[in-house]
Amino acid sequence: MIKLENISFDHCIKCTVCTIYCPVAQATHLFPGPKQSGPDAERLRIKNPELVDASLKYCTNCKRCEIACPSDVKIAEIIQNAKWNYVKVHWFRPRDFFMSRTDLVGLLATTFSGLTNFIINLKIVKVLMHLFLGIPYRMSFPSYQKGTFTKLYKKKFRKSQKAFEKKAVYFHGCYVNYNNHSLGSDLIKVMNALGYGVELAKEKCCGVPLIANGYIEKAKKNASYNIDSLGKTGESIIVSTSSSCSYALTHEYPSFLEMDNSSYIDRFDYITKFIYDEFTAGNIPPMGSVGIRAAYHSPCHLERMGGVIHTLGVLKMIPGLELVVLNSECCGIAGTYGFKNENYEISQGVGQNLFRIIEKAEPEFVITDCETCTMQIEMNTRYRVLHPVTLIAMALDKKG
Amino acid sequence: MVYDCVIIGGGLAGLTCGIKCAEEGLRTVVISGGMNSLHFSSGSIDLAGFTDNGSIIKKPFDYLKKTASGKKGHPYAKAGLPAIKKSLDFFISRLSEEGITLNNNGDYNHFHVTAPGAVKPTYLSQESVYSPAGKDIIKSGGKIAVLNFKGFRDYYPEQTAANLKKHPLFKNTEFIMGDISLPYYLHTEKNLHEFRSTDIARIFETERYLPRIADEIAKAAGDAGAVSLPAFIGISNYREIRRKLESMTGKFIYEIPTLPPSILGLRIDSALKNCFFSKGGEYIAGEKIVSASTNKGTVESIMTGNRSTSSEIKSRYFVLASGSFFSGGLQAGVSEIKEPIFNLKVQGDKKRSKWYSHDFFDRKSHPFLSFGVETDRNFNPCSEEGKTIKNLFCAGSVLSGYDPVKEGSGGGVAISTGYKCAERIIRELEK
Amino acid sequence: MGRIETDVIIIGGGATGAGIARDLSMRGVKCVLVEKNDIASGATGRNHGLLHSGARYAVKDHESAQECISENRILRKIAWHCIEDTGGLFVTLPEDDPSYHSQLLEGCKYAGIPAKEISIRKALQLEPNLNPGILSAMTVPDGTIDPFRLTASNMLDAKERGVVILTHTRVTSILKSNGRITGAICTSKDGGETEIHARMIVNAAGVWGQEVCSLAEIKLPMFPSKGSMLIIDYRVNGVVINRCRPPADGDIIVPGDTVSLIGTTSREIPYDKIDDYTIDDDEIDVLLSDGEKLIPNVKNTRALRAYCGVRPLVAVSGEMDGRNISRGIVLIDHKERDGLEGLVTISGGKLMTYRLMAEKTSDLVCRKLGVKKKCSTHKVPLPGSESRFSSGRTVKKFSGIPDSVVGSTFYRHGQRLRNIMTGEKKNYRLICECEMVTEGEIEYAIKKLEVKDLVDLRRRTRIGMGPCQGELCAYRGAGLFHEYGGTTPEGSVDLLYDFLEERWKGIRPVLWGDGLRESEFTYWIYQGLFGLSHINDNKKKKG
Repeated sequence: MIKLENISFDHCIKCTVCTIYCPVAQATHLFPGPKQSGPDAERLRIKNPELVDASLKYCTNCKRCEIACPSDVKIAEIIQNAKWNYVKVHWFRPRDFFMSRTDLVGLLATTFSGLTNFIINLKIVKVLMHLFLGIPYRMSFPSYQKGTFTKLYKKKFRKSQKAFEKKAVYFHGCYVNYNNHSLGSDLIKVMNALGYGVELAKEKCCGVPLIANGYIEKAKKNASYNIDSLGKTGESIIVSTSSSCSYALTHEYPSFLEMDNSSYIDRFDYITKFIYDEFTAGNIPPMGSVGIRAAYHSPCHLERMGGVIHTLGVLKMIPGLELVVLNSECCGIAGTYGFKNENYEISQGVGQNLFRIIEKAEPEFVITDCETCTMQIEMNTRYRVLHPVTLIAMALDKKG
Repeated sequence: MVYDCVIIGGGLAGLTCGIKCAEEGLRTVVISGGMNSLHFSSGSIDLAGFTDNGSIIKKPFDYLKKTASGKKGHPYAKAGLPAIKKSLDFFISRLSEEGITLNNNGDYNHFHVTAPGAVKPTYLSQESVYSPAGKDIIKSGGKIAVLNFKGFRDYYPEQTAANLKKHPLFKNTEFIMGDISLPYYLHTEKNLHEFRSTDIARIFETERYLPRIADEIAKAAGDAGAVSLPAFIGISNYREIRRKLESMTGKFIYEIPTLPPSILGLRIDSALKNCFFSKGGEYIAGEKIVSASTNKGTVESIMTGNRSTSSEIKSRYFVLASGSFFSGGLQAGVSEIKEPIFNLKVQGDKKRSKWYSHDFFDRKSHPFLSFGVETDRNFNPCSEEGKTIKNLFCAGSVLSGYDPVKEGSGGGVAISTGYKCAERIIRELEK
Repeated sequence: MGRIETDVIIIGGGATGAGIARDLSMRGVKCVLVEKNDIASGATGRNHGLLHSGARYAVKDHESAQECISENRILRKIAWHCIEDTGGLFVTLPEDDPSYHSQLLEGCKYAGIPAKEISIRKALQLEPNLNPGILSAMTVPDGTIDPFRLTASNMLDAKERGVVILTHTRVTSILKSNGRITGAICTSKDGGETEIHARMIVNAAGVWGQEVCSLAEIKLPMFPSKGSMLIIDYRVNGVVINRCRPPADGDIIVPGDTVSLIGTTSREIPYDKIDDYTIDDDEIDVLLSDGEKLIPNVKNTRALRAYCGVRPLVAVSGEMDGRNISRGIVLIDHKERDGLEGLVTISGGKLMTYRLMAEKTSDLVCRKLGVKKKCSTHKVPLPGSESRFSSGRTVKKFSGIPDSVVGSTFYRHGQRLRNIMTGEKKNYRLICECEMVTEGEIEYAIKKLEVKDLVDLRRRTRIGMGPCQGELCAYRGAGLFHEYGGTTPEGSVDLLYDFLEERWKGIRPVLWGDGLRESEFTYWIYQGLFGLSHINDNKKKKG
């Protein structure tokens, strides 16, 4: 008998709304849907833990079921818990291990970035990864930059940031750190324009891929490190450009990992909320017209956090931006989910709707907040993807 | 940033109010805690279906005019007949902008068929449920094929037909029963985990399956001139699909709503949301409002409970369209009824045994269906202490004073009260 | 009028009646079982399903305690698929008399019940949701037994051995001549009459036994005692939790399949109210507050239903006054008591001693009929419990179907799972999503398990017993009922109507919180969307 931690399934009144909005249930009949895998099956799993089902692994944890639920049932959490509470994960899974240890892989890859980028794009390597590691041939890893962002910050920005009176801490996350320094630079530019100097705190991977692949203990260790480090930042505001990292730091830490994040939670905002508050309080730096037609895709985790309204609010205030707001659809990649052979078809099936409506919108660029959504859209459509912060940086440049 | 109008609840009442406010240029946001009850509705709009003793109403506006003076606490009495009429016209026109036609039979109620074979009165229906052409077909007494999909467990055609035969409208109609097989069904083999109406709707929306489906329908229907199917010939482009199917089969196609999810309801939901977005409205999904701060009879702000830190939303006016018990707008504790956000004065018995009737299908219905927030004639509610809150309005099923099921008035109350609250707010802001 | 010739008529299809049918048929005696409602619809289906270790009687009633522990062991062998070996705990709360704990241990030792004292820490490990404030704890071999499965298995076995089962059939007169029984006349629900000729009648009608006796012009006063229970919509405990104090209201929480039961109360009711009793609000309060004391989590859970059953209490030798009421087994030979040869009444006892009651009754009957064969019900396994294999292995055999579905069906039907999961597509289609009941299981029940309406179907398959209480599955079940030939299309709507009314009886008393939300939703679907009562209006012209 397990101690009943999450009893929100008790509130389920079987209305089936969650199953209507589950993108995985729409894409494949192998997944019974969130209602059956979550609150329905939970009553049976309490009776007998053996009744856990392998089909749970298809859940992408996109949280759309929770957004749709009128009864406050934490459906996705129930499913994640079930996945990892009962499945004995003893064996070494090299693919899942390395894909979730972004710090480890990132550090190595950025040290030898030239070589790494060359190898991961070789056709033969991709074929081997497909056959032996189970990583789909058609997926491409994002390229790695030379050195980490933290190193770049120390070299290029640290001195100049000291001049600002108001300070903000930037939780950059792994994507900026290892794959996309320019987003980090854009963020610093925008914060500076708002009158804030940017500092970095020591950080480890927020833990999203670790949780998704079942390495809960390691995720807790990273969480503990981050909570500690962010707790030492005094009264500073803390921002992040990654919607996934933000979701983890605000929701997964207290809810799923059951860790106390009160040391920083009141000061933490996903970047567009911070910018939105600043803009609406009157602190709008002068921006020029960007002259772009772009389509906005809202990432699942940002929707769950209630943050889309801030991103949209900010985008609407960028001059010269013709914004098309795409219907809310999951892109299908779900972090490391789409990088696995067994999920590839489902992942593509889920994303089809989004790819289609992007094509229909005929934008010049696509805008989104999440780095893996970025990868999925760039791999499956012919459009380049920009982060909202990058657009603001562009507007600032146009003026200056 | 301060909004002009914050609407708590994204259901029929909330979205109607939202569309009206947004198109008048108000900064409007609709905050929805979860998906709304349109997902289980019949997809028709009930205005006034039954009298107090259960007889069917023929002309709803006449009935409302007659009874308005006797029912002062009823939302219709507060909205007033002119507003009810205007709101319905407004609703019909906005939906038709989004491609949904709602038909009505002039001043009369018309009938729609339910899954087990009952015949219920309603006022507005989608064209596959009521249309002049359909009315003629039923009148002519020709054969009707009542069809289902092989493997779909949420509908039983023989039950429908057998019970319809008992109704005066259909007693001379000949019914043919049949099953049609869908391409999806053949592929799934053992994995029929959930074959819901939404899955079938997606099959219909796939262009290349249509000829095959049309074939099956024609075969199963034989020489019947009309075909009734459970309702799911597509969600977004259903009119196109229906037109194509009708021309491919040469038969009139009628839809019957069955167990949730309701495709007929989903069409209205999607159309309302699209309309709202096109007028510039903002929408926050999956956020539950947990509390509000009120000062001297005015609501200053409300707090969301989604994030670990709650977010404060400020506005000039607020509309509470949070629904009844099902949607969480009202809460029933072990011995009391509450409105959880503003702690408003509610109408609801103190004794739990008085909340319900002895039989489930009691003719008197159940008292709890009429529980709700008490408001004055302007739809302003009172706090628990009795103070009227001037910048808060209430609309939809959170209101007290009416029983949507017994009266057959759910849709009408939601639309008219949502519309009336919007009108009030717009007028106040103009001042 | 139909006519049947047989040896014995058994009136009452509870566990005892079904058990007697099985026992007698195994000894070669021809029988007919007549039940006025559905099997296990009386006290059998309305108790908390405890597989007693006997510890509850160890202090005051050693004989009952010994009976319990020995039957406990037998049932684990012959009916393992109806049993869950949860184990049980007796815990002492701060307000209880601590000396009772040692009295109980003593009594168990004396009765041969393996009770063991354990530390509080161990108790909390065993049952993490237990109130951490307990003073002491001991383990006992309690378990839970599903009364519906048990009775259905007995009935199935009896049927397969030739017993004629007539459910929804009422005995309307008992035929006798010259001081002996010659038979009975019974009427089925649709009005058809049958005359059954037999040499003996066994009155196993539980609390309705008084009426049966009066048909034979015999006075047998019963003293009905109402016992109420509250069902929590999920399992809050994994082991049976008993309160270590002299038996009183609300001192047990029993896990049963996917739910937990808080019980019981004990209120005397007049005999004329035995078909018309409800649970009172104060009983609900007592059950909730006492349940909370054992498992604090109860406070945050959803009360799914509340219902009561009537205990058939009889005076020891059938005396007229109520002074010597026995909760033990009462077997009355009416030849000795009233001079009528051929009628015996079996009453009292508890669910888990049903087999013993059946054995004693069958021994008496066989003696009177001159049948020499001895009882073997303790040796032969019931259908479903034929050969032992673990649920884990079974589940692996049916890949492609979710484990939770296969597992649930296995729990309900044991070995007979093979007859259900045959490989046809429809076997995997879920009808009741809360309890994972497939269409295949429903077809099996309708065709093989004497199911006449949805309420019967619920007893055999658990459809409608989960949190939704029939919200989605009732409509599907009604439609399938007609598809599998159980009723006409019009009749299926009546079944639906009756089923929802039956579910409502148990939901009403606990209509608050999520239960109220669920009921509102159900009402909207069946009355708002479906207009169910309007169909009835058309037919019955209630106007």
